[in-house]
Amino acid sequence: MVKIVIDKVTKRFGPFTAIDAMDAVFDDGAVTCLLGPSGCGKTTLMRMIVGLEQPTVGRIFFGDRDMSGLPPRKRNVGMVFQYPVMYQTLSVEENIALPLTQDRSLSAQERDKRIDEVLDILDMRDKRKLFIGDLDAGSRQKVAVGRAVARRSDIVLFDEPTTNVEVQAKLLLIRAFKLVTQRLKQTIVYVTHDQTEAMTLADCVALMRDGRIIQYDRPADLYATPATEFAGWFLGNPGMNFMPARKTAAGIETPLTAAPVAADAEVSGNGTLTAGIRPEHVRLGATAAPGAVPGVLKDLSVTIAGRFIANVRIEGDTIVKVKTDEAIAARPGDTVYLAADPAGLSFYSDGNRVAAAVRQSQ
Amino acid sequence: MSSRLMPGVLDNRRFLVFALLVPVLAFFVVFNTIPTLWLLGLSFHKFSLISGMPPEFFGLRNFEDIYYNKNGIWGDLGRTFLFVGVGVTVQTVLGVLLGFLFWGSKDMPGRRIALTLLFTPMVLTPVATGTFFRFIYDPTFGVLNALLTGGLGMGVVDFLGNPKIAYWAVLAVDCWMWTPFMTLMTLAALGSVPKAELEAAEIDRLSWPKRISLVIWHHGKFILMLGILLRTIDAFKTLDLIIPMTKGGPGQTTRLVAVELNKQSFESFNMGWSSAYSVLLLLISIAMTSIFIYILNRRRRAR
Repeated sequence: MVKIVIDKVTKRFGPFTAIDAMDAVFDDGAVTCLLGPSGCGKTTLMRMIVGLEQPTVGRIFFGDRDMSGLPPRKRNVGMVFQYPVMYQTLSVEENIALPLTQDRSLSAQERDKRIDEVLDILDMRDKRKLFIGDLDAGSRQKVAVGRAVARRSDIVLFDEPTTNVEVQAKLLLIRAFKLVTQRLKQTIVYVTHDQTEAMTLADCVALMRDGRIIQYDRPADLYATPATEFAGWFLGNPGMNFMPARKTAAGIETPLTAAPVAADAEVSGNGTLTAGIRPEHVRLGATAAPGAVPGVLKDLSVTIAGRFIANVRIEGDTIVKVKTDEAIAARPGDTVYLAADPAGLSFYSDGNRVAAAVRQSQ
Repeated sequence: MSSRLMPGVLDNRRFLVFALLVPVLAFFVVFNTIPTLWLLGLSFHKFSLISGMPPEFFGLRNFEDIYYNKNGIWGDLGRTFLFVGVGVTVQTVLGVLLGFLFWGSKDMPGRRIALTLLFTPMVLTPVATGTFFRFIYDPTFGVLNALLTGGLGMGVVDFLGNPKIAYWAVLAVDCWMWTPFMTLMTLAALGSVPKAELEAAEIDRLSWPKRISLVIWHHGKFILMLGILLRTIDAFKTLDLIIPMTKGGPGQTTRLVAVELNKQSFESFNMGWSSAYSVLLLLISIAMTSIFIYILNRRRRAR
């Protein structure tokens, strides 16, 4: 059981800085997801942890052991790649056994026990004698996972392992990952650009952008209280709504509230703010209601789980995305009314969260 | 007018395929199939270009002559097989080692220049290479003997004149020339190994023999075997390298099959006999290729 400590790590590829003076600690026994858009440096960070790349500046510790300059084989880590690696001349069982046979301290019975255990967790008992030609991409990736975890190394890394797998198999694969991570208490770093995957698997999500971790939080907190506009926009489908807001003597005025709202923290600066609210925190109605503001319905579409997503244009030409459970009796072009749930309203200055709206006690 | 006609004609897939194939097929038939059939026919005839006589049907006499070792051709065949066996083995071993060296030194400064220099022997004309090496090997003013006598204090060695050495001296030039080809094939074979599998093998702490047998060989074997096949066929036909160096001498010690065939057909104009000999060599080439392809396919089937 070791935690991973990233100590002032910078990685440059020529003039391009992939990782910029990063400090981070990934807890032992936890699943940390590195989440971020393409090119944010998450894969580079993981390759430095595993030892396939060396940092330009800074050090990486496993527990209190300095890993600088050590090749991957000396770091005792397992890794699952984007491309499902399965040694093609070996069967499923032999693949999983291969890293174990490199460990001479392991008895044959212990080895068989571990292989059985891993095959059980991955639900691949009946496939143990098969070869790569008999397996689909999802099963191949499961074999790769089995090989990475059977060794019981302290740390296991996943590099976007579901990218090359079709949707149906992807869900099964994520379920298998969840089982594996719950059963084996290894320190896991999981790189993905898929927020659903990160939310499902992670104990903690490290949200990355431009070579930095901009927020490191539990998935629910990350979603509920994004520390930056970027986090609010990147997480959620669709992401957070943003609109200009202004601080006045009476509170903060936003286009989505009929009256100014009070903030839970003192907001400094010249009073120009951005208000952010998630689409599910906006209520949509066909008739006027107290506190609601009018807008023009642009379009309305059905999304998963029978929910609706509406785009509504309100004052100031702002388009507000609304997620709602009930359909409303309105057609595009009709006037509708929007009300903001104060619990979901927060304020940003220069891209960073500065305050949230106070819940009214009415 | 043609614009109205052409689209309809070109839209017809079968016609298009046929139209695209015709030039190649015509070329192949005129310059390959017909001469080969002609050759096959001539091999049953007695025909000399200098006698002025028309070809005379001869039955299997030419092949009988070959069987009874006319012109000492069984010796030529033995020498050629030794040449192919030793040459291709040395080139493969050296080429693979050099390939691994260049593969493992991707960040070395000067690697590109070294690679370019390494590949120059391969792109030279064999006749030019042979001529250069005749001068290099020369006992009186050759640079190699200057080094041996001046630098190492050894006696003069007549590389191409000594019947015991000439064969190996010629073989060494062939290796000098064609090892880079096997290096190139090795680099191509190594390039076909997925990077993730190599990285996985490193993380899984596999030993080097295991990495080579489980990952590298599995992905690279086809290209490497193809290289060996091409080298085998090519080495079997070696002629232009030997002509400027020894012309098959001293005695017959460097006389490979192609050297003798060249002499019989284009110096003695003994066309009937040469044709029979060519047919035999063609059959040997086909047999070797078939064996290679069989080995490659058997490996794939076994998986």
